[in-house]
Amino acid sequence: MRRLLPTLVLAVAASSATAQFRLPTIIPLSRAPQQPVLQGIDALREDFAAQSGGTTVYFGIGSVILGAPARAVLAAQAAWLRRHPEVVVRIEGYGDSGDTRDHALAVGASRAEEARSFLVLMGVPSPQVSITTLGKERPGLGRAVTILVR
Amino acid sequence: MKRFSLTLISIGIAGAAHAQQPGTPSATVIAVPPLTSPDSGNRGNEMLAVGWDATQLIVADLQQTAELMPLKPNRDDYYSYPEVTAPTFSKWRAAGAKALVTGFVQSRPDGRLTFGCYVYDLDKGRNLARKGFVIAPSDWRRAAHKCSGLAYTAITGAPGIFDTRIAYVAETGIGEARIKRIALMDSDGSNHRYVTPGDTMVLTPRLAPKATELAYVSYAGGEPNVRIVTLSSGQERPLILADAISFAPRYAPDGSRIVFSMMQGSNCDIYVVGASGGLPQRLTTSPGVDTDPSFSPDGSKIVFESDRSGSQQLYVMNADGSGQRRISFGGGWYAAPEWSPDGQWIVFTQRYAGGRRIGIIKPDGTGEKQLTTGPWDESPSWAASSREILFQRTDASGRSGLYRIALDGSEPRRVNIPQDGSDPDWSGVMD
Repeated sequence: MRRLLPTLVLAVAASSATAQFRLPTIIPLSRAPQQPVLQGIDALREDFAAQSGGTTVYFGIGSVILGAPARAVLAAQAAWLRRHPEVVVRIEGYGDSGDTRDHALAVGASRAEEARSFLVLMGVPSPQVSITTLGKERPGLGRAVTILVR
Repeated sequence: MKRFSLTLISIGIAGAAHAQQPGTPSATVIAVPPLTSPDSGNRGNEMLAVGWDATQLIVADLQQTAELMPLKPNRDDYYSYPEVTAPTFSKWRAAGAKALVTGFVQSRPDGRLTFGCYVYDLDKGRNLARKGFVIAPSDWRRAAHKCSGLAYTAITGAPGIFDTRIAYVAETGIGEARIKRIALMDSDGSNHRYVTPGDTMVLTPRLAPKATELAYVSYAGGEPNVRIVTLSSGQERPLILADAISFAPRYAPDGSRIVFSMMQGSNCDIYVVGASGGLPQRLTTSPGVDTDPSFSPDGSKIVFESDRSGSQQLYVMNADGSGQRRISFGGGWYAAPEWSPDGQWIVFTQRYAGGRRIGIIKPDGTGEKQLTTGPWDESPSWAASSREILFQRTDASGRSGLYRIALDGSEPRRVNIPQDGSDPDWSGVMD
């Protein structure tokens, strides 16, 4: 792994995180009330992004190291997640555009895992956080995004 | 998908047949007289029509090669059945040909066809190779491809690429809305079809050596996982049962094993597992990214990429993971290697300051050559002949297509596909 000094940019991509995620359709039933978490997930996402200073952390090209700004965002995310143990998140990691396909998948997975490990280190129970990698398959290279799943 | 059955039969003609190298640097001119038929009447005319279609397909196949130059066939040049096994060598020599391929199509009482194929060396006046098949009438294309392959192999000594398949990722839409499907076609572009429906993102199809099944990466479970699909039945299964991110699958040359990458924490290593399942065995342990493994043709070694030295480079190891050593030391980063079917070369993607391009290097690290100029080339895959490479090229607008390039350094040729394409993979010769 390249141990470059990462160039870090503070994340502000709160609205785009909700835009790229499709909610499951909620079919109202007359008898059983819906899960409040599901119904309020948009509000939760907004609150999560606002309280954490962003859903996204950025990495330098080729790097999987979390810099200080990334750790600050993740620490705030961790604090929020500890207050909301009912919420489950998934971290999506992305590679870099110059990468070959499989290396981008590996780098994306490593970035997501670094972010996940940091959340766990900050006291978030590990079942609350899963990861995936999008390699270079979707717009949003060079970052890891924490997405509220439910 | 329909299962193809070619029943090999022995067809009678005396004399030993074996391959020989013509030893000439230029293309060998080959005559392709129309395939004939021993049948008579209406049935005979039907068989001659099939034979003519097959003749044209054989010519088209051979025209695509750098080594053979077919003479334009003439339908009126009626070729009698006895001539198939006893050609008038002097006539075809006078036409400028060094070799000849022809054959016959015969109807059988069970509705199938007997397809005979013969290759001759005109200078020596002898048979180089012959093969007979019993086929369903609808399989005449594959029989013709087999005939092209017989001629190509008899004259060049290398496996033909005519009866092979290409798998790739068909791409439509852009950005978040991009749809990716696994597509499969014959190497001449016919029989194009989609293997996955497009409801889930998919990557990197890799065909089993004889194109009977296909390994690919699917996002059906939310994270990338290797899945296997049997092409005759469409039946699918995960490669491994572990709940882990897995990708970069590739079959061993005998189809018995699959090498792939799996994440454990933030570490990406190479594993091998039986093609029909079992417990994966870990082959690399270095921190960082070890991925894109590819077997040597004898199955004893594996080439892969690793960034353990600080940047992506090529390494070769024994198939049990021992004896890992770096083979690439040029400028830039080296990725996505694939070992050639003849064992002589390893093709790779080179990342350099301006983009990505395709190159080849010998397994001992010598003889490195740049094949393409980029700037956004990747995913190279060998032809069964080891003389050509299929790869992905992305243009300035971000659209990707498939290209073929010969090792002789000629210009890449675009492969016709119905939409954008990426991650091409070229199979070995089918049974």
